[in-house]
Amino acid sequence: MISPFLADPAFLENIIRILFVFVLITAAFTLSTRNIASLLNVYAVQSLLLVLIAVFLYLIEGSQTLLAIAVLTLVSKVLLIPLFINLIGEKIKISRDLKFNYLEPTASLIVSMGLILLAYVFLSGFFSEFILGKLFFMGAVIGLSLTLMGMLVIFSRRKVITKAIGYLTMENGVLLFGIFVADLPFIIEILIVIDLMILVLLTTILAIGIDSTIEEYHQRLQTLRIWSGRED
Amino acid sequence: MIIFSYLAVGAIALALIMLSKSHRAMNAFFILHTLASLAIGVYVLLTTTVPIFETGSEYFYVDHLSLYEALIAALLFFLASVYANGYVESLMQAQELHRNNLKIFYMVFSLLLTTVTLAFFSDNLALFWIFAELTTVFSAALVAILSAKENIDAAIKYIFIASGAMLFSFIGLIFLYTLSGEVLSSGTLNWTMLAKNAAILSPKMLTASFVFLFIGFAAKSGIFPFHTWLPDAHSKAPSAVSAILSGVLLNIGMYGILRMYAIVRQTQAETMVSQFLLGFGLLTVAVAVLNMLLQKNLKMLIAFSSVEHMGILLLGIGIGTPLALFWTLFYILAHSLTKASLFFSAGILHRQYESNLIKDIKDVFSLQPIAGWGFVIGSFAIIGMPPFPIFSAKFFILLEAFGFSKPLVFAVLLLLVIASAAFARFLIEAFTQSSKDAGTEGPEALLLPYVVRNGMKFPIISILFIILALGVVFPEPLENLLNIIVYELGYL
Repeated sequence: MISPFLADPAFLENIIRILFVFVLITAAFTLSTRNIASLLNVYAVQSLLLVLIAVFLYLIEGSQTLLAIAVLTLVSKVLLIPLFINLIGEKIKISRDLKFNYLEPTASLIVSMGLILLAYVFLSGFFSEFILGKLFFMGAVIGLSLTLMGMLVIFSRRKVITKAIGYLTMENGVLLFGIFVADLPFIIEILIVIDLMILVLLTTILAIGIDSTIEEYHQRLQTLRIWSGRED
Repeated sequence: MIIFSYLAVGAIALALIMLSKSHRAMNAFFILHTLASLAIGVYVLLTTTVPIFETGSEYFYVDHLSLYEALIAALLFFLASVYANGYVESLMQAQELHRNNLKIFYMVFSLLLTTVTLAFFSDNLALFWIFAELTTVFSAALVAILSAKENIDAAIKYIFIASGAMLFSFIGLIFLYTLSGEVLSSGTLNWTMLAKNAAILSPKMLTASFVFLFIGFAAKSGIFPFHTWLPDAHSKAPSAVSAILSGVLLNIGMYGILRMYAIVRQTQAETMVSQFLLGFGLLTVAVAVLNMLLQKNLKMLIAFSSVEHMGILLLGIGIGTPLALFWTLFYILAHSLTKASLFFSAGILHRQYESNLIKDIKDVFSLQPIAGWGFVIGSFAIIGMPPFPIFSAKFFILLEAFGFSKPLVFAVLLLLVIASAAFARFLIEAFTQSSKDAGTEGPEALLLPYVVRNGMKFPIISILFIILALGVVFPEPLENLLNIIVYELGYL
């Protein structure tokens, strides 16, 4: 039934374009949502969108690497990382990130519209000399925009966990950019995910520290059994 | 073989630290780790013909530049590990470092040495990127290890600014990969391949890729406007760690910029990129010295001085002549050593007064003669007074810059005068204060001298000795080494 559609590149390309729009919507949510649990869900959805984009692109291009990236993203960013942050979030009992630095949500949405245009203008200056297909050019623009919007999240949000989600959003942007501009060796993608995991691990542990007095901090860490070194 | 031996030493040291029970043992294994790294570096330098590829593929590459940087790193880690023996014990006694965190501290410190070394030997730029990222994460953990709120704040700021900026570097790498794929049979991120084929790369795209890569590397080495994390992280970290942050970790970003510039300078993009570097270098120096001038915090002063020196290194790279590069390379060594001695001295002073603020420092020379003199001599060295090595390095870099642009040299000289004034002001104000004329006489105002533990004096004295020697005589082997590096980077 559906297979003739999946064999039609034009159809697939349009689906990918629609997914681009969805990705931008999730980024806008990340900039404005105050509830941490929904922020995390938005991040998981955003990563899932990237998985779908990679799969559809695989159907068009047939490159095995894309499929591998899709699987890796699904396991690490849709499942593991949100699960882990959720676990930490429950321990530190922060459910909302209410305050914003420098920019309120409306202002940051307007700024991010500017950033998307900027990304487009900038990239069209450089890729004119390349034979990069229309879809691929669009992917690069969306990827760069997503990176910039993630940076905006790091700037404008206060709580460490929200900042971490901003960083993760930036990384999703880089992944999207990478998928469409170059087919990097898969080993590099794995390395980035490892880097991401370590970074998330460390920042969330520090988030516990920010939020408690020092004595509590040590107790909490001990109950978490993350710090295991001991000298008696 | 070389990479494997570094890895093996790192893994063994990590395992031994993990298994050991006492502080003494952990420290001893860490010192052994640094000594082994130093030994491998020296051995390779003396016996092996470099440059060579390592591990049977083109992922790792050993040339004189990477060896030089790795040796500087190993030397500083060695000094810091000796210093840590007494220093960390004091931190635990003062309950600033929790005893439970001791093992983590040494394990992460040891891991940091391994990742720093691997970063310098990475030929593949993506691999370099990953290792550089890991050094950020590990060093941030070392900043946060004191688990005071301000430390955690500083560490978080450090991670988000440095790692966030490094993601832009990654976009630069993707550019570079695509760009090389256009002219070569397949895309590559191997520095050796890129440097060999630099002439046929598109200058416009190369500039774009350089700018993106620069954002991340600049953030890692504290270049304006990405320097904002540096003063906090460097001043809040334990002093043994501060010395490594300033003396080794800043070099990683500079190393990345240096390698990229060696590619760019073979193309028409050179003029633009060079001006770009000179601009950022000058701005960095300016911002740093203005922050130094009225600084009230000792470690903040040293931290901003690191920002200033990174700016000068950027100028040295941006000038782009072989002679400027030669002295820039020498500058890296001189700065790393001098900065470490300053942080080590500041660490002792901080133990003594339990504060870094100018107003709390009294009777320095009677309480802490070694740290006091160490800081005074270190300050003379860092502002570039003769006969210290930074003097000749600065002198020749500026001399090269003279042919480039006179206003630039005048601006830099003016800023350097301000930097010297900042150090002079701090020294005069802090080191002449005596508890007698402070008016708060009485038994509570009298400070007992803090007993400087074994091993804390040795690094300070040996560094002062080394920099004095380096300033007076320029050893021929070092000169040859730097000349070979300049040649290998394609400058001659």
